[in-house]
Amino acid sequence: MDLENNKAQMRKGILEYCILSVLSRNSCYASDIIKELKEAEVIVVEGTLYPLLTRQKNAGLLSYRWEESQQGPPRKYYELTEEGRKYLTELDKSWQELVESVNLIRTR
Amino acid sequence: MDKTININLGGILFQVDEEAFRILRDYLQAINNRFAHLQGGHETIEDIESRIAEIFQSQKGSAGAVTKENVESMIGIIGKPEDFDQGWPDQPGPSISSQKKRMFRNPEDKIIGGVCSGIAAYLDSDPVLFRILFVLFTAFFGVGFFVYLGLWIALPEARTDSQKRSMYGNNYNPGKSDRKTDENSLVVSTANYISGYTSSSKLGNAINEVFRALGRVFYIVLRIFLIIFGVALVLTGFLAILLFVIVFIIRYPGAFSFDSSGVNLIYLKDFLNYIVNPAAVPWIIILSTITFILPMLALIYWGVKMIFWFRARDGVVSLVALVVWVMSIAALSIIGFNEGISFAETGKTTIETVLPKSQDTLYVMTDKKIADLKYDKQFSLPHEQYSVFLNDQKKELYIRTYFAVERSDDKLRRIEIRKRSAGHTESEAVNKTDGLIFNYSIKGDTLFMDEYFTCPAGRKWSADNVGIKLYIPTGTIIKFEKNPRVLLHSSFRNEDDDYLESSWESRNSVWAMTDNGLEPVTEHSSKQK
Repeated sequence: MDLENNKAQMRKGILEYCILSVLSRNSCYASDIIKELKEAEVIVVEGTLYPLLTRQKNAGLLSYRWEESQQGPPRKYYELTEEGRKYLTELDKSWQELVESVNLIRTR
Repeated sequence: MDKTININLGGILFQVDEEAFRILRDYLQAINNRFAHLQGGHETIEDIESRIAEIFQSQKGSAGAVTKENVESMIGIIGKPEDFDQGWPDQPGPSISSQKKRMFRNPEDKIIGGVCSGIAAYLDSDPVLFRILFVLFTAFFGVGFFVYLGLWIALPEARTDSQKRSMYGNNYNPGKSDRKTDENSLVVSTANYISGYTSSSKLGNAINEVFRALGRVFYIVLRIFLIIFGVALVLTGFLAILLFVIVFIIRYPGAFSFDSSGVNLIYLKDFLNYIVNPAAVPWIIILSTITFILPMLALIYWGVKMIFWFRARDGVVSLVALVVWVMSIAALSIIGFNEGISFAETGKTTIETVLPKSQDTLYVMTDKKIADLKYDKQFSLPHEQYSVFLNDQKKELYIRTYFAVERSDDKLRRIEIRKRSAGHTESEAVNKTDGLIFNYSIKGDTLFMDEYFTCPAGRKWSADNVGIKLYIPTGTIIKFEKNPRVLLHSSFRNEDDDYLESSWESRNSVWAMTDNGLEPVTEHSSKQK
């Protein structure tokens, strides 16, 4: 078994959940999301994030607005939509269930 | 550090060292290849580009050129496209790399359609080889050309990463191994495919260049050819549908009758009610419309596709259309067979009557004329002079008779009425002939007869025909009604002997039976007699 691969697969599964969770606290730039995810060691390279943001935006979970920045061109400022919030609530629930299931199995 | 290049990245202008630029260009190209074909891919590419700009800015400020080290550290932060997989569920992970190898067209090394390099990738070989083979085989009656076209149509293009992976099979090396061997080279995925399979010899490269040039010419010629062909297809399909609508829906009178005896298809639908089981009529109409219209629509669609050269996900629709078409043909055939067996056998009845004879001249007069039916719907078969007239009120069919004159072996004048019908069996067909009504009468030396016979209401049409044959001995003069032209042109026809028909072309109304057959008598010579 490839441990690294296994870990990568696990991270991959929760990555979208993590992005939504970060944005549920406060709206922010892509680089802020990256920072949080990197600190939590959920992602390794930044490139992973961008396609996911595009996809979640296209799915109507996120929206963004352009914000001026002092040292450069305007940047995208992401926030959760109403739909995104509902979606996140569902994910929260299933995450809770998942953790309970795993714990149940581990402590048996 | 001899040269810098200005580039615009995410709306900001950067000066980039030449070496850094090459690496950056390859990297951006790889990102582009990775996302451009995906939904929302361009937005992702833009986002990544702005992020790259942001990183460069934070590293450099706005002064100084971007160096190779800057680019490499940026790539370290953002990662190579193949490392993005971690968060892209649509892509199969690298662990599934031992996929079954499949043949694709290779969009990354193509001259015309990427067929040759696709085959080469499949066989782990050099595309040049196949290019030469195709050109050589084109010399043999264009075999290579058509095989190429066929493969172009049949092989899908490798567009996604996973397709590319299965195109190259296990020889596909996504960046990682490359990075180990060559730390400096940041040539990424796309370049890897190319480096492995097109690193031909110098000669090979030269040949490839020649092919590339030829390919462009070929491509333009092919496009022109396809556009012309496409326009022809669209016009054909469109005109065919237009004709169909004019003839069967608008029913423009005379749309399809080329001359007075030509086929008149506009009443085919009405006529159908008399030929087949009435319950089958709507089905026949629907099915034959589908059978005819579908291929025409397909022609138009193919034409448009050829003209505008677009791809569409039409596989399922085409398949459904094909199935529908085949099924309607099958259903039509079954109905046709069921109806057809009622025409399987023909049967005839012949009645011969001896005509009285008091003088040498026999007069032939028409009684009921076809011209009087002109307001009824007509359905004619071309060249057969078989014309059917529908009477919608009486639900009767009137059908033109055949007429012929022959020399009789004895001294008697005789008239032979032969009725023919079709049926399941011969005896049924013979019975059916009873239903046909043909009127004629004899008064002295004059024969009165109708130009048509009647198929009465409630009797299904069974390919009926009635032929009248006059047998007259040599020396008999036969004189037709004042204006025989109409008769001669359309209703008089010899069933068996064609030579008579041509002589009927003459507008003469007086004929004499000689030992050589029937011959026209001019007014002058008749006065002499």
